[in-house]
Amino acid sequence: MKHLERQFESLVRTIRKRRTAYFFAAPAIITLLAITIFPLLYEVRLVFMSWELTTSATPEFVGLQNLIKVLFQDSRFWSSMRVTAVLIVLGVSIQLGIGTGLALLLNRMGRWRTPLVSLFLIPVMIAPVVAGFQFRMIYHDQFGPLNYVIELITGGRWRGFAWIADPNVALFAILMTDVWQWTPFLMLIVLAGLQSIPLELHEAAEVDGASPWQSFWRITFPLLLPVIIIGILIRAMDAFKLFDIVYLVTGGGPGNVTETISFYTYLQGFKFFSLGYTAAMAFIQLIIITLIARFFLSFQKRQRGEI
Amino acid sequence: MRRMSPLQKLVSAVILVIALILFLFPVVWMFLTSFKTEAEYFSYPPVFIPRDFSPRNYLNAMMLPPDGRGGLQGLRDSLIVALSTTIVSMLIGSLAAYSLSRFKTGGENLSFWILSTRMFPPVAAALPLFLIFKELRLLDTHWALIIANTVFNLPFVIWMLKGFFDDLSPEMEEAALIDGCTHWDAFIRVALPLITPGLVATALFSFIFAWNEFMFALLLTRRSVRTLTVIVPSLVGGHEILWGEIAAIGTIAIIPGIVLSVLFQRFLVRGLTMGAVKG
Repeated sequence: MKHLERQFESLVRTIRKRRTAYFFAAPAIITLLAITIFPLLYEVRLVFMSWELTTSATPEFVGLQNLIKVLFQDSRFWSSMRVTAVLIVLGVSIQLGIGTGLALLLNRMGRWRTPLVSLFLIPVMIAPVVAGFQFRMIYHDQFGPLNYVIELITGGRWRGFAWIADPNVALFAILMTDVWQWTPFLMLIVLAGLQSIPLELHEAAEVDGASPWQSFWRITFPLLLPVIIIGILIRAMDAFKLFDIVYLVTGGGPGNVTETISFYTYLQGFKFFSLGYTAAMAFIQLIIITLIARFFLSFQKRQRGEI
Repeated sequence: MRRMSPLQKLVSAVILVIALILFLFPVVWMFLTSFKTEAEYFSYPPVFIPRDFSPRNYLNAMMLPPDGRGGLQGLRDSLIVALSTTIVSMLIGSLAAYSLSRFKTGGENLSFWILSTRMFPPVAAALPLFLIFKELRLLDTHWALIIANTVFNLPFVIWMLKGFFDDLSPEMEEAALIDGCTHWDAFIRVALPLITPGLVATALFSFIFAWNEFMFALLLTRRSVRTLTVIVPSLVGGHEILWGEIAAIGTIAIIPGIVLSVLFQRFLVRGLTMGAVKG
Protein backbone atom coordinates (compact mmCIF):
# COMPACT_ATOMS: atom_id res chain seq x y z
CA MET A 1 0.00 0.00 0.00
CA LYS A 2 2.80 2.39 1.01
CA HIS A 3 4.63 1.42 -2.18
CA LEU A 4 1.59 2.14 -4.36
CA GLU A 5 1.08 5.47 -2.66
CA ARG A 6 4.63 6.50 -3.34
CA GLN A 7 4.28 5.52 -6.98
CA PHE A 8 1.09 7.56 -7.23
CA GLU A 9 2.80 10.54 -5.68
CA SER A 10 5.68 10.40 -8.11
CA LEU A 11 3.21 10.12 -10.99
CA VAL A 12 1.43 13.27 -9.81
CA ARG A 13 4.76 15.02 -9.52
CA THR A 14 5.71 14.06 -13.08
CA ILE A 15 2.39 15.26 -14.43
CA ARG A 16 2.73 18.50 -12.54
CA LYS A 17 6.22 18.99 -13.90
CA ARG A 18 5.06 18.29 -17.46
CA ARG A 19 2.20 20.69 -16.96
CA THR A 20 4.54 23.43 -15.75
CA ALA A 21 6.85 22.72 -18.67
CA TYR A 22 4.13 23.22 -21.26
CA PHE A 23 2.53 26.05 -19.33
CA PHE A 24 5.86 27.91 -19.54
CA ALA A 25 6.40 27.18 -23.21
CA ALA A 26 2.80 27.68 -24.35
CA PRO A 27 2.77 31.46 -24.97
CA ALA A 28 5.77 31.24 -27.27
CA ILE A 29 4.54 28.15 -29.12
CA ILE A 30 1.09 29.65 -29.61
CA THR A 31 2.49 32.98 -30.82
CA LEU A 32 4.85 31.33 -33.27
CA LEU A 33 2.20 28.92 -34.55
CA ALA A 34 -0.33 31.70 -35.00
CA ILE A 35 2.00 33.99 -36.88
CA THR A 36 3.84 31.42 -38.97
CA ILE A 37 1.30 28.70 -39.74
CA PHE A 38 -1.53 31.03 -40.78
CA PRO A 39 0.51 33.04 -43.24
CA LEU A 40 2.05 29.84 -44.56
CA LEU A 41 -1.33 28.22 -45.23
CA TYR A 42 -2.59 31.47 -46.71
CA GLU A 43 0.40 31.58 -48.99
CA VAL A 44 0.13 27.98 -50.11
CA ARG A 45 -3.49 28.66 -51.07
CA LEU A 46 -2.42 31.75 -53.02
CA VAL A 47 0.12 29.76 -55.02
CA PHE A 48 -2.75 28.13 -56.91
CA MET A 49 -4.64 31.37 -57.52
CA SER A 50 -4.43 34.12 -60.05
CA TRP A 51 -5.06 37.34 -58.17
CA GLU A 52 -4.13 40.55 -59.94
CA LEU A 53 -4.98 43.52 -57.76
CA THR A 54 -4.44 45.90 -60.68
CA THR A 55 -7.11 44.40 -62.95
CA SER A 56 -9.72 42.27 -61.22
CA ALA A 57 -10.28 41.93 -57.50
CA THR A 58 -11.59 38.36 -57.58
CA PRO A 59 -9.04 35.58 -57.18
CA GLU A 60 -9.33 32.69 -59.59
CA PHE A 61 -8.10 29.11 -59.24
CA VAL A 62 -5.44 28.36 -61.84
CA GLY A 63 -3.78 25.20 -60.54
CA LEU A 64 -0.04 24.93 -61.09
CA GLN A 65 0.07 27.72 -63.66
CA ASN A 66 1.87 30.21 -61.39
CA LEU A 67 4.63 27.78 -60.50
CA ILE A 68 5.07 26.72 -64.11
CA LYS A 69 5.24 30.31 -65.27
CA VAL A 70 7.86 31.21 -62.65
CA LEU A 71 10.06 28.22 -63.32
CA PHE A 72 9.83 27.92 -67.11
CA GLN A 73 8.73 31.20 -68.62
CA ASP A 74 10.12 33.96 -66.45
CA SER A 75 13.66 34.87 -67.45
CA ARG A 76 13.63 37.73 -64.94
CA PHE A 77 13.13 35.22 -62.12
CA TRP A 78 16.18 33.26 -63.25
CA SER A 79 18.19 36.42 -63.70
CA SER A 80 17.40 37.43 -60.12
CA MET A 81 18.35 33.94 -58.93
CA ARG A 82 21.66 34.24 -60.75
CA VAL A 83 22.35 37.65 -59.17
CA THR A 84 21.55 36.20 -55.75
CA ALA A 85 23.80 33.20 -56.37
CA VAL A 86 26.69 35.45 -57.44
CA LEU A 87 26.27 37.57 -54.33
CA ILE A 88 26.17 34.52 -52.07
CA VAL A 89 29.13 32.67 -53.60
CA LEU A 90 31.44 35.62 -54.30
CA GLY A 91 30.32 37.66 -51.30
CA VAL A 92 30.69 34.92 -48.72
CA SER A 93 34.04 33.76 -50.17
CA ILE A 94 35.52 37.26 -50.05
CA GLN A 95 34.15 37.84 -46.56
CA LEU A 96 35.56 34.54 -45.36
CA GLY A 97 38.95 35.20 -46.94
CA ILE A 98 39.42 38.70 -45.53
CA GLY A 99 37.68 37.78 -42.27
CA THR A 100 40.03 34.84 -41.66
CA GLY A 101 43.06 36.98 -42.45
CA LEU A 102 41.99 39.67 -40.01
CA ALA A 103 41.14 37.10 -37.35
CA LEU A 104 44.59 35.50 -37.60
CA LEU A 105 46.20 38.91 -37.14
CA LEU A 106 43.89 39.95 -34.31
CA ASN A 107 44.46 36.68 -32.50
CA ARG A 108 48.06 37.78 -31.83
CA MET A 109 47.26 41.30 -30.75
CA GLY A 110 47.16 40.66 -27.00
CA ARG A 111 45.47 43.38 -25.00
CA TRP A 112 44.66 45.42 -28.12
CA ARG A 113 42.37 42.68 -29.38
CA THR A 114 39.24 43.61 -27.45
CA PRO A 115 39.02 47.30 -28.39
CA LEU A 116 39.97 46.50 -32.01
CA VAL A 117 37.25 43.88 -32.33
CA SER A 118 34.67 46.34 -30.97
CA LEU A 119 35.62 48.88 -33.63
CA PHE A 120 35.70 46.30 -36.44
CA LEU A 121 32.22 45.14 -35.52
CA ILE A 122 30.50 48.48 -35.96
CA PRO A 123 29.47 47.74 -39.60
CA VAL A 124 27.71 44.54 -38.48
CA MET A 125 25.56 46.38 -35.95
CA ILE A 126 24.42 49.11 -38.35
CA ALA A 127 21.04 48.95 -40.11
CA PRO A 128 21.65 47.73 -43.69
CA VAL A 129 19.55 50.67 -44.86
CA VAL A 130 21.99 53.11 -43.25
CA ALA A 131 24.94 51.17 -44.67
CA GLY A 132 23.31 51.46 -48.09
CA PHE A 133 22.97 55.21 -47.67
CA GLN A 134 26.63 55.54 -46.67
CA PHE A 135 27.70 53.76 -49.84
CA ARG A 136 25.29 55.83 -51.93
CA MET A 137 27.31 58.84 -50.87
CA ILE A 138 30.67 57.11 -51.31
CA TYR A 139 29.79 55.84 -54.81
CA HIS A 140 28.40 59.21 -55.98
CA ASP A 141 29.86 59.86 -59.43
CA GLN A 142 30.31 63.63 -58.99
CA PHE A 143 30.88 64.24 -55.30
CA GLY A 144 31.78 60.80 -53.93
CA PRO A 145 35.07 60.29 -52.06
CA LEU A 146 35.68 56.96 -53.85
CA ASN A 147 36.06 58.57 -57.27
CA TYR A 148 38.20 61.27 -55.71
CA VAL A 149 40.61 58.72 -54.21
CA ILE A 150 40.78 56.81 -57.49
CA GLU A 151 41.55 60.03 -59.34
CA LEU A 152 44.32 60.84 -56.87
CA ILE A 153 45.88 57.38 -57.14
CA THR A 154 45.77 57.18 -60.93
CA GLY A 155 46.93 60.76 -61.35
CA GLY A 156 43.64 61.88 -62.93
CA ARG A 157 43.57 59.20 -65.64
CA TRP A 158 40.59 57.36 -64.14
CA ARG A 159 37.78 59.58 -62.99
CA GLY A 160 34.03 59.99 -62.76
CA PHE A 161 33.05 56.30 -62.48
CA ALA A 162 29.28 55.81 -62.44
CA TRP A 163 29.42 53.04 -59.84
CA ILE A 164 25.69 52.48 -59.54
CA ALA A 165 24.49 53.57 -62.99
CA ASP A 166 26.94 51.50 -65.05
CA PRO A 167 25.50 48.00 -65.64
CA ASN A 168 29.01 46.53 -65.69
CA VAL A 169 29.95 47.58 -62.18
CA ALA A 170 26.63 48.06 -60.36
CA LEU A 171 26.58 44.48 -59.07
CA PHE A 172 30.15 44.95 -57.88
CA ALA A 173 29.02 48.06 -55.98
CA ILE A 174 26.34 45.99 -54.21
CA LEU A 175 28.82 43.19 -53.55
CA MET A 176 31.35 45.56 -51.95
CA THR A 177 28.68 47.05 -49.69
CA ASP A 178 27.71 43.58 -48.50
CA VAL A 179 31.36 42.60 -48.07
CA TRP A 180 31.99 45.75 -46.04
CA GLN A 181 29.08 45.03 -43.75
CA TRP A 182 29.60 41.31 -43.14
CA THR A 183 33.35 40.63 -43.28
CA PRO A 184 33.68 41.57 -39.59
CA PHE A 185 31.02 38.98 -38.75
CA LEU A 186 33.07 36.14 -40.23
CA MET A 187 36.19 37.66 -38.67
CA LEU A 188 34.52 37.47 -35.26
CA ILE A 189 33.43 33.86 -35.74
CA VAL A 190 36.85 32.70 -36.93
CA LEU A 191 38.45 34.57 -34.04
CA ALA A 192 36.16 32.80 -31.58
CA GLY A 193 37.15 29.50 -33.18
CA LEU A 194 40.86 30.36 -32.95
CA GLN A 195 40.61 31.20 -29.29
CA SER A 196 38.98 27.90 -28.46
CA ILE A 197 42.02 25.99 -29.80
CA PRO A 198 44.28 25.03 -26.88
CA LEU A 199 47.76 26.59 -27.09
CA GLU A 200 49.41 23.30 -26.10
CA LEU A 201 48.53 21.80 -29.47
CA HIS A 202 50.63 24.36 -31.30
CA GLU A 203 53.44 24.05 -28.79
CA ALA A 204 53.48 20.28 -29.18
CA ALA A 205 53.56 20.64 -32.97
CA GLU A 206 56.42 23.10 -32.69
CA VAL A 207 58.38 20.72 -30.49
CA ASP A 208 57.82 18.00 -33.07
CA GLY A 209 59.32 20.31 -35.69
CA ALA A 210 56.22 21.37 -37.60
CA SER A 211 56.53 24.49 -39.73
CA PRO A 212 54.02 27.32 -39.15
CA TRP A 213 52.44 26.38 -42.48
CA GLN A 214 52.00 22.72 -41.44
CA SER A 215 50.77 23.76 -38.04
CA PHE A 216 48.08 25.92 -39.66
CA TRP A 217 46.79 23.33 -42.13
CA ARG A 218 47.10 20.32 -39.81
CA ILE A 219 45.89 21.82 -36.52
CA THR A 220 44.26 25.21 -36.83
CA PHE A 221 42.29 24.59 -40.00
CA PRO A 222 40.64 21.25 -39.10
CA LEU A 223 39.66 22.59 -35.67
CA LEU A 224 38.29 25.78 -37.20
CA LEU A 225 36.31 24.04 -39.91
CA PRO A 226 33.07 23.41 -37.95
CA VAL A 227 32.92 27.05 -36.83
CA ILE A 228 33.63 28.25 -40.36
CA ILE A 229 30.88 26.05 -41.78
CA ILE A 230 28.37 27.49 -39.31
CA GLY A 231 29.48 31.01 -40.26
CA ILE A 232 29.17 30.28 -43.98
CA LEU A 233 25.70 28.80 -43.59
CA ILE A 234 24.44 31.73 -41.51
CA ARG A 235 25.82 34.16 -44.07
CA ALA A 236 24.42 32.17 -46.99
CA MET A 237 20.93 32.24 -45.46
CA ASP A 238 21.20 35.99 -44.86
CA ALA A 239 22.64 36.77 -48.29
CA PHE A 240 19.80 34.79 -49.86
CA LYS A 241 17.42 37.37 -48.39
CA LEU A 242 19.46 40.40 -49.46
CA PHE A 243 17.03 43.28 -49.96
CA ASP A 244 17.76 46.43 -47.95
CA ILE A 245 21.10 47.26 -49.56
CA VAL A 246 19.75 46.68 -53.08
CA TYR A 247 16.74 48.88 -52.32
CA LEU A 248 18.98 51.71 -51.12
CA VAL A 249 22.00 51.56 -53.39
CA THR A 250 20.68 50.65 -56.86
CA GLY A 251 16.96 49.88 -56.59
CA GLY A 252 17.65 46.72 -58.59
CA GLY A 253 18.95 48.71 -61.55
CA PRO A 254 20.26 49.68 -63.95
CA GLY A 255 17.75 47.57 -65.88
CA ASN A 256 17.62 44.64 -63.53
CA VAL A 257 21.29 43.70 -63.25
CA THR A 258 21.30 44.00 -59.45
CA GLU A 259 17.84 42.57 -58.82
CA THR A 260 18.03 39.86 -56.15
CA ILE A 261 15.31 37.28 -55.68
CA SER A 262 13.99 39.08 -52.60
CA PHE A 263 13.83 42.34 -54.51
CA TYR A 264 12.07 40.80 -57.51
CA THR A 265 9.52 39.15 -55.23
CA TYR A 266 8.90 42.51 -53.59
CA LEU A 267 8.32 44.13 -57.00
CA GLN A 268 5.86 41.44 -58.09
CA GLY A 269 3.93 41.64 -54.85
CA PHE A 270 3.99 45.29 -53.93
CA LYS A 271 4.55 47.12 -57.23
CA PHE A 272 2.83 44.90 -59.83
CA PHE A 273 0.37 43.39 -57.30
CA SER A 274 0.38 39.88 -58.80
CA LEU A 275 -0.44 38.13 -55.56
CA GLY A 276 -0.66 34.54 -56.77
CA TYR A 277 2.56 34.88 -58.73
CA THR A 278 4.34 36.42 -55.74
CA ALA A 279 3.17 33.58 -53.53
CA ALA A 280 4.57 31.07 -56.01
CA MET A 281 7.96 32.77 -55.93
CA ALA A 282 7.89 33.05 -52.15
CA PHE A 283 7.07 29.35 -51.97
CA ILE A 284 10.12 28.45 -54.07
CA GLN A 285 12.34 30.58 -51.82
CA LEU A 286 10.91 28.88 -48.78
CA ILE A 287 11.88 25.49 -50.17
CA ILE A 288 15.44 26.66 -50.89
CA ILE A 289 15.93 28.28 -47.50
CA THR A 290 14.48 25.20 -45.79
CA LEU A 291 17.11 23.07 -47.52
CA ILE A 292 19.97 25.33 -46.33
CA ALA A 293 18.43 25.57 -42.86
CA ARG A 294 18.13 21.77 -42.61
CA PHE A 295 21.77 21.45 -43.42
CA PHE A 296 22.58 24.07 -40.77
CA LEU A 297 20.40 22.42 -38.11
CA SER A 298 21.61 18.89 -38.73
CA PHE A 299 25.18 20.13 -38.63
CA GLN A 300 24.51 21.86 -35.34
CA LYS A 301 22.84 18.75 -33.91
CA ARG A 302 25.87 16.70 -34.84
CA GLN A 303 28.18 19.25 -33.21
CA ARG A 304 26.20 19.03 -29.99
CA GLY A 305 26.30 15.25 -30.10
CA GLU A 306 30.08 15.36 -30.18
CA ILE A 307 30.46 17.66 -27.19
CA MET B 1 52.42 29.96 -30.11
CA ARG B 2 55.48 31.13 -32.00
CA ARG B 3 56.79 34.52 -30.92
CA MET B 4 56.52 37.21 -33.54
CA SER B 5 59.58 39.19 -34.49
CA PRO B 6 59.26 42.97 -34.01
CA LEU B 7 59.06 43.35 -37.79
CA GLN B 8 56.18 40.86 -38.04
CA LYS B 9 54.45 42.67 -35.23
CA LEU B 10 54.80 45.99 -36.98
CA VAL B 11 53.54 44.61 -40.29
CA SER B 12 50.45 43.02 -38.73
CA ALA B 13 49.69 46.21 -36.80
CA VAL B 14 49.96 48.28 -39.97
CA ILE B 15 47.69 45.91 -41.91
CA LEU B 16 45.13 45.97 -39.11
CA VAL B 17 45.15 49.75 -38.90
CA ILE B 18 44.66 50.11 -42.66
CA ALA B 19 41.82 47.57 -42.58
CA LEU B 20 40.26 49.40 -39.66
CA ILE B 21 40.39 52.72 -41.51
CA LEU B 22 38.69 51.11 -44.52
CA PHE B 23 35.97 49.53 -42.38
CA LEU B 24 35.28 52.67 -40.39
CA PHE B 25 35.53 55.13 -43.25
CA PRO B 26 31.86 54.91 -44.41
CA VAL B 27 30.64 55.47 -40.85
CA VAL B 28 33.02 58.37 -40.23
CA TRP B 29 32.11 59.86 -43.60
CA MET B 30 28.42 59.81 -42.69
CA PHE B 31 29.17 61.33 -39.30
CA LEU B 32 31.19 64.16 -40.90
CA THR B 33 28.52 64.70 -43.58
CA SER B 34 25.94 65.18 -40.86
CA PHE B 35 27.71 68.46 -40.00
CA LYS B 36 28.36 69.69 -43.54
CA THR B 37 26.46 72.44 -45.32
CA GLU B 38 25.02 71.78 -48.77
CA ALA B 39 27.90 73.68 -50.37
CA GLU B 40 30.30 71.37 -48.52
CA TYR B 41 28.78 67.99 -49.43
CA PHE B 42 28.06 68.99 -53.03
CA SER B 43 31.61 70.00 -53.85
CA TYR B 44 34.53 68.54 -55.74
CA PRO B 45 37.14 67.75 -54.62
CA PRO B 46 35.11 66.51 -51.63
CA VAL B 47 35.37 68.40 -48.34
CA PHE B 48 36.46 65.96 -45.64
CA ILE B 49 36.20 68.01 -42.46
CA PRO B 50 33.22 70.39 -42.16
CA ARG B 51 34.03 73.99 -41.26
CA ASP B 52 32.02 73.92 -38.06
CA PHE B 53 30.23 71.26 -36.06
CA SER B 54 26.93 73.04 -35.64
CA PRO B 55 23.91 70.76 -35.06
CA ARG B 56 21.78 72.48 -37.72
CA ASN B 57 21.33 69.31 -39.83
CA TYR B 58 20.14 67.42 -36.75
CA LEU B 59 17.61 70.11 -35.93
CA ASN B 60 16.42 70.29 -39.54
CA ALA B 61 16.19 66.50 -39.78
CA MET B 62 13.94 66.36 -36.75
CA MET B 63 11.49 68.73 -38.41
CA LEU B 64 11.49 67.30 -41.92
CA PRO B 65 8.17 66.76 -43.72
CA PRO B 66 5.71 65.05 -43.59
CA ASP B 67 3.83 66.85 -40.82
CA GLY B 68 7.00 68.86 -40.24
CA ARG B 69 8.41 66.33 -37.80
CA GLY B 70 9.93 63.58 -39.95
CA GLY B 71 12.95 62.66 -37.84
CA LEU B 72 11.13 63.14 -34.60
CA GLN B 73 8.32 60.85 -35.70
CA GLY B 74 10.87 58.32 -36.89
CA LEU B 75 12.64 58.37 -33.57
CA ARG B 76 9.36 57.95 -31.70
CA ASP B 77 8.11 55.12 -33.92
CA SER B 78 11.42 53.27 -33.98
CA LEU B 79 11.59 53.47 -30.18
CA ILE B 80 7.99 52.29 -29.71
CA VAL B 81 8.39 49.37 -32.10
CA ALA B 82 11.83 48.25 -30.91
CA LEU B 83 11.01 48.57 -27.21
CA SER B 84 7.63 46.81 -27.44
CA THR B 85 9.08 44.02 -29.59
CA THR B 86 11.86 43.53 -27.06
CA ILE B 87 9.51 43.47 -24.06
CA VAL B 88 7.05 41.05 -25.66
CA SER B 89 9.72 38.67 -26.94
CA MET B 90 11.65 38.75 -23.66
CA LEU B 91 8.54 38.00 -21.58
CA ILE B 92 7.31 35.13 -23.72
CA GLY B 93 10.76 33.98 -24.75
CA SER B 94 12.37 33.71 -21.33
CA LEU B 95 9.57 31.41 -20.11
CA ALA B 96 9.85 29.20 -23.18
CA ALA B 97 13.64 29.13 -22.96
CA TYR B 98 13.47 28.03 -19.32
CA SER B 99 11.00 25.32 -20.18
CA LEU B 100 13.07 24.03 -23.11
CA SER B 101 16.26 24.08 -21.08
CA ARG B 102 15.06 22.60 -17.78
CA PHE B 103 12.24 20.25 -18.79
CA LYS B 104 13.45 19.46 -22.33
CA THR B 105 9.92 20.28 -23.44
CA GLY B 106 9.09 18.79 -26.83
CA GLY B 107 12.61 17.39 -27.12
CA GLU B 108 15.06 18.59 -29.75
CA ASN B 109 12.38 18.77 -32.42
CA LEU B 110 10.49 21.61 -30.78
CA SER B 111 13.70 23.58 -30.21
CA PHE B 112 14.77 23.20 -33.80
CA TRP B 113 11.31 24.00 -35.13
CA ILE B 114 11.42 27.25 -33.17
CA LEU B 115 14.85 28.06 -34.56
CA SER B 116 13.74 27.31 -38.12
CA THR B 117 10.96 29.92 -37.99
CA ARG B 118 13.70 32.52 -37.86
CA MET B 119 15.13 31.44 -41.19
CA PHE B 120 11.89 32.27 -43.01
CA PRO B 121 12.63 34.86 -45.74
CA PRO B 122 10.84 38.07 -44.64
CA VAL B 123 9.75 38.77 -48.21
CA ALA B 124 7.90 35.44 -48.26
CA ALA B 125 6.13 36.34 -45.02
CA ALA B 126 5.39 39.93 -46.01
CA LEU B 127 2.58 39.27 -48.50
CA PRO B 128 0.39 37.00 -46.35
CA LEU B 129 1.05 39.21 -43.31
CA PHE B 130 0.03 42.24 -45.37
CA LEU B 131 -3.26 40.60 -46.42
CA ILE B 132 -4.03 39.31 -42.92
CA PHE B 133 -3.21 42.63 -41.26
CA LYS B 134 -5.40 44.35 -43.84
CA GLU B 135 -8.34 42.18 -42.80
CA LEU B 136 -7.63 42.88 -39.13
CA ARG B 137 -7.21 46.61 -39.83
CA LEU B 138 -3.71 46.54 -38.35
CA LEU B 139 -1.88 47.98 -41.35
CA ASP B 140 -0.05 51.22 -40.67
CA THR B 141 -0.15 50.69 -36.89
CA HIS B 142 2.64 50.00 -34.43
CA TRP B 143 1.05 46.62 -33.78
CA ALA B 144 1.74 45.42 -37.32
CA LEU B 145 5.48 45.96 -36.85
CA ILE B 146 5.54 44.72 -33.26
CA ILE B 147 3.83 41.46 -34.26
CA ALA B 148 5.94 40.93 -37.38
CA ASN B 149 9.20 41.70 -35.56
CA THR B 150 8.26 39.52 -32.60
CA VAL B 151 7.92 36.49 -34.89
CA PHE B 152 11.50 36.94 -36.00
CA ASN B 153 12.90 37.93 -32.61
CA LEU B 154 11.19 35.31 -30.47
CA PRO B 155 13.17 32.35 -31.87
CA PHE B 156 16.36 34.35 -31.35
CA VAL B 157 15.48 35.23 -27.75
CA ILE B 158 14.49 31.64 -26.96
CA TRP B 159 17.71 30.17 -28.35
CA MET B 160 19.95 32.73 -26.70
CA LEU B 161 18.35 32.37 -23.28
CA LYS B 162 18.15 28.60 -23.58
CA GLY B 163 21.91 28.65 -24.04
CA PHE B 164 22.35 30.75 -20.88
CA PHE B 165 20.02 28.50 -18.85
CA ASP B 166 21.83 25.42 -20.17
CA ASP B 167 25.10 26.86 -18.84
CA LEU B 168 23.55 27.44 -15.43
CA SER B 169 23.69 24.48 -13.04
CA PRO B 170 20.15 23.61 -11.84
CA GLU B 171 21.31 22.93 -8.25
CA MET B 172 20.21 26.32 -6.90
CA GLU B 173 16.72 25.94 -8.31
CA GLU B 174 16.48 22.36 -7.04
CA ALA B 175 17.38 23.56 -3.55
CA ALA B 176 14.69 26.22 -3.81
CA LEU B 177 12.13 23.61 -4.91
CA ILE B 178 12.98 21.39 -1.94
CA ASP B 179 12.47 24.41 0.33
CA GLY B 180 8.91 24.56 -0.98
CA CYS B 181 9.22 27.05 -3.79
CA THR B 182 7.06 26.57 -6.88
CA HIS B 183 8.64 26.27 -10.32
CA TRP B 184 7.46 29.81 -10.95
CA ASP B 185 9.34 31.10 -7.90
CA ALA B 186 12.42 29.11 -8.85
CA PHE B 187 12.30 30.70 -12.28
CA ILE B 188 11.63 34.30 -11.20
CA ARG B 189 13.67 34.47 -7.98
CA VAL B 190 16.53 32.08 -8.65
CA ALA B 191 17.17 31.38 -12.33
CA LEU B 192 16.46 34.76 -13.91
CA PRO B 193 18.65 36.85 -11.57
CA LEU B 194 21.53 34.44 -12.14
CA ILE B 195 21.59 35.08 -15.88
CA THR B 196 21.18 38.87 -15.69
CA PRO B 197 24.10 39.68 -18.04
CA GLY B 198 22.71 37.23 -20.59
CA LEU B 199 19.25 38.76 -20.24
CA VAL B 200 20.56 42.26 -20.83
CA ALA B 201 22.62 41.21 -23.85
CA THR B 202 19.72 39.30 -25.37
CA ALA B 203 17.34 42.21 -24.84
CA LEU B 204 19.80 44.61 -26.47
CA PHE B 205 20.20 42.34 -29.48
CA SER B 206 16.45 41.99 -29.80
CA PHE B 207 16.11 45.77 -29.59
CA ILE B 208 18.68 46.30 -32.35
CA PHE B 209 17.17 43.71 -34.69
CA ALA B 210 13.81 45.48 -34.45
CA TRP B 211 15.45 48.91 -34.62
CA ASN B 212 17.36 48.01 -37.81
CA GLU B 213 14.46 46.20 -39.47
CA PHE B 214 13.43 47.68 -42.82
CA MET B 215 11.29 45.46 -45.03
CA PHE B 216 8.27 45.11 -42.73
CA ALA B 217 8.40 48.81 -41.91
CA LEU B 218 8.37 49.56 -45.63
CA LEU B 219 5.52 47.21 -46.51
CA LEU B 220 3.25 47.11 -43.46
CA THR B 221 3.18 50.80 -42.50
CA ARG B 222 2.78 54.00 -44.46
CA ARG B 223 1.82 57.35 -42.97
CA SER B 224 0.94 57.15 -39.31
CA VAL B 225 3.94 54.93 -38.51
CA ARG B 226 7.32 55.72 -40.07
CA THR B 227 10.41 54.26 -38.46
CA LEU B 228 13.88 55.76 -38.98
CA THR B 229 14.78 52.99 -41.42
CA VAL B 230 11.97 53.97 -43.82
CA ILE B 231 12.64 57.68 -43.48
CA VAL B 232 16.22 57.32 -44.72
CA PRO B 233 15.37 55.81 -48.17
CA SER B 234 12.30 58.03 -48.57
CA LEU B 235 14.62 61.05 -48.37
CA VAL B 236 17.28 59.51 -50.62
CA GLY B 237 14.64 59.04 -53.30
CA GLY B 238 13.36 62.63 -53.14
CA HIS B 239 14.03 65.32 -55.78
CA GLU B 240 16.51 67.21 -53.67
CA ILE B 241 18.82 64.86 -51.87
CA LEU B 242 19.34 66.15 -48.35
CA TRP B 243 22.65 64.41 -47.63
CA GLY B 244 23.23 66.39 -44.44
CA GLU B 245 19.84 65.69 -42.91
CA ILE B 246 19.84 62.00 -43.91
CA ALA B 247 23.35 61.64 -42.50
CA ALA B 248 22.11 63.15 -39.23
CA ILE B 249 19.24 60.63 -39.07
CA GLY B 250 21.63 57.82 -40.02
CA THR B 251 24.06 58.83 -37.29
CA ILE B 252 21.29 58.76 -34.69
CA ALA B 253 20.12 55.39 -36.05
CA ILE B 254 23.48 53.66 -35.55
CA ILE B 255 24.01 54.69 -31.92
CA PRO B 256 22.32 51.63 -30.32
CA GLY B 257 24.39 49.24 -32.46
CA ILE B 258 27.65 50.89 -31.52
CA VAL B 259 26.75 50.85 -27.84
CA LEU B 260 26.03 47.12 -28.05
CA SER B 261 29.24 46.23 -29.84
CA VAL B 262 31.36 48.20 -27.36
CA LEU B 263 29.63 47.21 -24.12
CA PHE B 264 28.71 43.61 -24.80
CA GLN B 265 31.53 42.30 -26.90
CA ARG B 266 31.76 39.04 -25.01
CA PHE B 267 28.21 38.13 -26.04
CA LEU B 268 28.52 39.20 -29.68
CA VAL B 269 29.60 35.84 -31.06
CA ARG B 270 26.76 34.08 -29.34
CA GLY B 271 24.23 36.71 -30.32
CA LEU B 272 25.20 36.85 -33.97
CA THR B 273 25.16 33.06 -34.36
CA MET B 274 22.13 32.43 -32.14
CA GLY B 275 24.25 30.38 -29.78
CA ALA B 276 25.66 28.15 -32.53
CA VAL B 277 29.14 29.40 -31.62
CA LYS B 278 29.97 30.21 -28.02
CA GLY B 279 32.66 32.84 -27.86
